[in-house]
Amino acid sequence: MTTGLSTDDTPPEIDKAFVPSPTTGEPVRLLSGGWFAGVALRYSMVIVMLLVIMYFSYRSARFSTPENLLTILVAAAPFALIALGQTLVVLTGGIDLSVGSVIAVSAMASAATAKANPGQVWMTVLVAMVVGLAVGSVNGILVSRINVPPFIATLGTLTAGSGLAYVIGGGAPINGLPAEFGSIANTKIMGLQIPVLVMIIGIVVLAVVMKRTTYGMRVYAVGGNRSAAEIAGINAKNVLFSVYAFSGLLAGISGVMLASRVISGPPNLGQGYELDAIAAVVIGGASLMGGRGTVWGTVLGLFMIQTLNNGLDILVVPAYWQDVIKGVLIVAAVAVDVWSTRRRT
Amino acid sequence: MRLTTKLAVIASAGMLGLGLTACGAGDTESKSGKTRIGVTVYDMSSFITAGKEGMDAYAKANNIELLWNSANGDVSTQANQVDSLINQGVDAIIIVPIQADSLGPQVQTAKSKGIPLVAVNAALNNKDVAGNVQPDDVAAGAQEMQMMADRLGGKGNIVILQGPLGQSGEIDRTKGIEQVLAKYPDIKVLAKDTANWKRDEAVNKVKNWISGFGPQIDAVVSENDDMGLGALQALKESGRTGVPIVGIDGIEDGLNAVKSGEFIGTSLQNGTVELSAGLAVTNALVKKEKVNTEPVYIMPAITKDNVDVAYQHVVSDRQKFLDGLSELTAQNLKTGDIAYEGIPGQKQQ
Repeated sequence: MTTGLSTDDTPPEIDKAFVPSPTTGEPVRLLSGGWFAGVALRYSMVIVMLLVIMYFSYRSARFSTPENLLTILVAAAPFALIALGQTLVVLTGGIDLSVGSVIAVSAMASAATAKANPGQVWMTVLVAMVVGLAVGSVNGILVSRINVPPFIATLGTLTAGSGLAYVIGGGAPINGLPAEFGSIANTKIMGLQIPVLVMIIGIVVLAVVMKRTTYGMRVYAVGGNRSAAEIAGINAKNVLFSVYAFSGLLAGISGVMLASRVISGPPNLGQGYELDAIAAVVIGGASLMGGRGTVWGTVLGLFMIQTLNNGLDILVVPAYWQDVIKGVLIVAAVAVDVWSTRRRT
Repeated sequence: MRLTTKLAVIASAGMLGLGLTACGAGDTESKSGKTRIGVTVYDMSSFITAGKEGMDAYAKANNIELLWNSANGDVSTQANQVDSLINQGVDAIIIVPIQADSLGPQVQTAKSKGIPLVAVNAALNNKDVAGNVQPDDVAAGAQEMQMMADRLGGKGNIVILQGPLGQSGEIDRTKGIEQVLAKYPDIKVLAKDTANWKRDEAVNKVKNWISGFGPQIDAVVSENDDMGLGALQALKESGRTGVPIVGIDGIEDGLNAVKSGEFIGTSLQNGTVELSAGLAVTNALVKKEKVNTEPVYIMPAITKDNVDVAYQHVVSDRQKFLDGLSELTAQNLKTGDIAYEGIPGQKQQ
């Protein structure tokens, strides 16, 4: 990208027509081809998202309506929580495969609680949170104290958790739950269902925490270079433990929200959801090696997947084609992102 | 995974307080004079759990010892379990298969050793199985579509929720639905897709369809109750009431929806009755009694008129139903109508 600038006597900063390229940081002429290329690469994900939205809006007049936006938000909420938890874990260079099972166990535990204590809705939420936090803590201890590789540790809890969900239900779904149990997910405050509000609060709070607090800084530091972080006085073990515990807690909340929405406790709830959560994080530009990624990136990845689910259903694209389209888009998105990152550095 | 399933099996047996042990491999001792029948099921689904209660009740009344195994959805695990049962020298084996084209060598070995092998609830593509006790899913699909066509007066726009594409239950129920639809040119299918038998998947799928089609959707035809209940939730969230929904299976929540009028009906696949019949056929084969080795389970239609009886059998009066099950099953085997359980509208042939 070395243009004629090096032979030019005028430093590029002085010329107002030149700006740093959004991708490479080198000076390029504003609105020139190079500038457009830079913008396109830097914001490739946002551009793809906009294209997707434009396409669906063009194909169906019913896509871009407030009601449909709400439909997407409600569907996204349980995934948002596990994707947020996953973001923190991935930032430390780890991975949490167990969230799907945590959803199942917490949903079954809360459904069993609802069946035994009808009318005490708060208790079901509490049970789900405790269960989620407990499984997350097990992951945290395995990874941070015993140094089990995150992939193995959470694969173990994924397997054990899915079995445990069946144990709670005696091998079967929990049916015949009291209608009150549905109030957790189906109550509206200011026109928005509780899960949607929880999602919005979660995103905003976590975005601020990761950007503005020392805790956020420590997570990035541990993921970027653990030894350096430790030399700088960061207790990496505590940071690692905290992200897995937090991921578990969020999955627990996600589980009770899912179960409450359909007022039932299916032991296979959440099966495979961990992959959607990881996909959202990766589409959002996070590196599975740790240290790189943002909450807003994950949010973008999450809504990319959810918008596709919604729009493709509206266009009545068969489920198997939906899988093909989503898979291709995930890989393409990440490929472009990796490529543009390489150009940047 | 196998360990956790066994735990689940043991736990479920313990919780239900049923006397029989839930052990698989390793239990080689024969209790005196009892017929020993090995069982391997695809998974401990709610259907199988209900069916296990029925089989346990029938076994208890007929001096049968059951050796339970769950394959947890894994074909090779199931093959190992059948091998192990053959090695233990059981008198017969009941299989609820995962895949129709599996277990070829096992069926062969069992046949050569004179151990009758019976496929229940899902078919095995193998002519050497000694018995076949299957539900008629095509008839169930046709039945629910007929119910809906009658309700709509033969005219309207529907959406269809299918089971996992390619699974035999989905294929057959879809076939039945399409057979009936062929007779009603004025019923238009707006959308048809899978929600994998799951309530939480169905709720999002149907909400997206409501976004896309709005008030055009006149009815929902779901290939099982769980997805129908998901559709119900989606319609509720969108503020639409009175859209007729029909399901299949007759699970507790589905029967409740029929009671409340939120479902126009369902078809009862009572696992308790069906699996108990499977055991009865197997037992007759062991005893070398004359028996129809391929009886078909025809699901009774459940509507508001007869839902109360079905609810008693499945949920509220379950123990009483289980107590009378052995006698009912024996009688059904004689008449050949293995789905009969005295629900109004059912005719004992």
